[in-house]
Amino acid sequence: MDSGDNTIKIGDYVVVQRQGYTKLHKLKASSKLILGSFNIEMDNVIGEKYFDTFQMKNTPGNKRFYVLEKVEQVNSAKDSLNIEKSGQDNRNIPNNHAESQSLTKEDIDKLKDAELSSNNIVGQLINNSKTFSMKTEYSQEKYIKKKEKKYFEYVQIKKPSIRILVQMFYRQDPTKTLGIRVDDLSQILTYANIHSEGNHLLYDSGTSGLISAAITNAIGPNTTGQLIHTHPGNECQKNAFIAMQFPKEQSDRCINVNLYSVIRCFYQNRNTFVENNAETSEPEAKRQKVDENTKSASNIQKKTWQLDNEKACKILDQKVDSLIITAKEHPVNITKELLSFLKGNRNFVVFSLFKELHQDLYTYLKTRTDIINIRITNNFMRNYQVLPNRTHPEVNMTIAGYLLTGYKLDM
Amino acid sequence: MSFNGYKNKIEEGDTVILYLTITQIYSVKAQSKIINKKGNEVVNVFQTPYGALKCGELVGKSFGTKISLSKGWGYVLQPTPELWTITLPHRTQIIYTPDISMIILQLELSPGSIVIESGTGSGSLSHALIRAVKPHGHLHTFEFHEGRSKMATEEFRNHGFSNYVTVRHRDVCEKGFSEELDGVADAVFLDLPHPWLAIPHAIKSLKSSGGRLCSFSPCIEQVQKSCLVLLKLGFQEIQTMEVLQTQLSVQQRNIPVINMDFLKSEKDGSEGEKKDREFLKTVVAIPPPSLPGHTGYLTIATLPPVWARSLQMSLNEVDMIDGEGEGD
Repeated sequence: MDSGDNTIKIGDYVVVQRQGYTKLHKLKASSKLILGSFNIEMDNVIGEKYFDTFQMKNTPGNKRFYVLEKVEQVNSAKDSLNIEKSGQDNRNIPNNHAESQSLTKEDIDKLKDAELSSNNIVGQLINNSKTFSMKTEYSQEKYIKKKEKKYFEYVQIKKPSIRILVQMFYRQDPTKTLGIRVDDLSQILTYANIHSEGNHLLYDSGTSGLISAAITNAIGPNTTGQLIHTHPGNECQKNAFIAMQFPKEQSDRCINVNLYSVIRCFYQNRNTFVENNAETSEPEAKRQKVDENTKSASNIQKKTWQLDNEKACKILDQKVDSLIITAKEHPVNITKELLSFLKGNRNFVVFSLFKELHQDLYTYLKTRTDIINIRITNNFMRNYQVLPNRTHPEVNMTIAGYLLTGYKLDM
Repeated sequence: MSFNGYKNKIEEGDTVILYLTITQIYSVKAQSKIINKKGNEVVNVFQTPYGALKCGELVGKSFGTKISLSKGWGYVLQPTPELWTITLPHRTQIIYTPDISMIILQLELSPGSIVIESGTGSGSLSHALIRAVKPHGHLHTFEFHEGRSKMATEEFRNHGFSNYVTVRHRDVCEKGFSEELDGVADAVFLDLPHPWLAIPHAIKSLKSSGGRLCSFSPCIEQVQKSCLVLLKLGFQEIQTMEVLQTQLSVQQRNIPVINMDFLKSEKDGSEGEKKDREFLKTVVAIPPPSLPGHTGYLTIATLPPVWARSLQMSLNEVDMIDGEGEGD
């Protein structure tokens, strides 16, 4: 990524972050962004810098509609609130939560519509809470943080990165990226030995472009590596890929082709991509036919997808240096087919959400004599809350998918 | 030189991975003579359960092919950072691939990145860091143990990585990451007994446009101290996590089946016949009976660019309630 230029410009893909919540947004002139319950007018970030913080300000006469104003200083709720009393424990706090707060939802909405200020709203909530002063110090802090989060009025603008995108997609809807979690993605890239060199082959049936973006990112700018990204549909998914805003030179080295059409081209239209010098030795009659074919083909102006297919086939003909499969389909046939394009002395990785599918694949691969070092792995990952005297694993955790990794011998 | 780029033929001096079975994987050096502990030159022979291997004979063979041993066979593989991690000579505790993968993704490394690592240790992580940043990036790695830093330098040279890595013998907690690295790094990785002492130095080395920092600590007390220092110094997105990998073994099992239908009707005289016990053939994927339950905590954070740091510090204040005094 270009780290030299940190100015936010029209046309940029930006990540808008409010507390732990992030959203991807394409900046256009007078664009609007819906962030949770807030409708935000984005114009004021243009020309400012990445990592700048903006305050959401109410617009007069228009509820729920906010403009952004750059801020240089923020006041945290904890500083502006003056908490005088705390309890020892919760023995005197009644269990009825509904009654402890005397402000109604309407009252709070009114406060919010007058001015979105988490300090003010949290202050009012505390003043109108019958139990707040009985809570322990820790519990008061938790309460403030929870409420501050809800009414927090600051957002920050960031550049998209693979790390931010994988975590954002997973949080928003894991099914949109086949359930690939950050640890799965990180290991797909290492076990497949993806780096700046070589030709890499990917079959991806729907991760919003995350895997092709991550591989292209690992191949890097101004290097020799190339990626063939095969997908099952007419158009490949590329949300994440576009969001990364790779330089043209780099994004051009990711060739997006339809799986069926590229395989058809490889086996049925070899003349379109095999080098001409091989053909000159062929019989005259055949050569003429080939010439005619190429002539008629060039007459009918080839479509981009055809050119991409030929470009991909040329690479497949030389075979590739790594193979990654992130499929929702059953992996055996896909892996069997695509392994024939993998050179010997190379690694491959298959991701699936279900271990049963990997069991089938394992059983198949074991029947082959050219595949060794086959491993099926699964990760346990958890995050921690680290706070003085209150460190513990986070309450919620998620379940990861399964990776099958292997090595192809040179036979 | 067998780490840098794809390679077909084994050359003199190459590191080669010898794969016998999934649990018997070793690294050997393809050269006929080797200096032993006493300083004498001896024939380089590697003893395997399937017979001895004269390592000099590997030269000229292709990576990814079968080799014969007196009591069996094996395969010779080109090393990758992952294979190196499971076969390297341990000079210290090492970091394994699940953590390494997460570190590389979290540090947002890509070719061209400048990354700082401390300590070098046995070089397990270093190999993967170099792969991630080469050809135009660079790894600056620091080790306070002189012998280890020399061995690492030698190893990187042998592996063909010299252009992408600089090893320095230095105590970074005391002396920092040296002035020549001020403001050049995209990312800093710390694996130190007192990581919080190195964090202020890391800020000096990171670019003014900000960067990422990751600290690997086995103990939660180290994590707590590091997190407080990160908060105080204006880092954001501070996250602590652990990643553990389970390897499943796929096996075919015959599960006995009990059938009780015959109990429901009266005896018809066929009970005396000896019946085969009934089995169900099924494929299962089973985790090992015991596995590592802890490696270390990864604490990861972003250092904002200079123009956003003071604001971040004021935002961090609320998280530091009771950070002082009571923490001990």
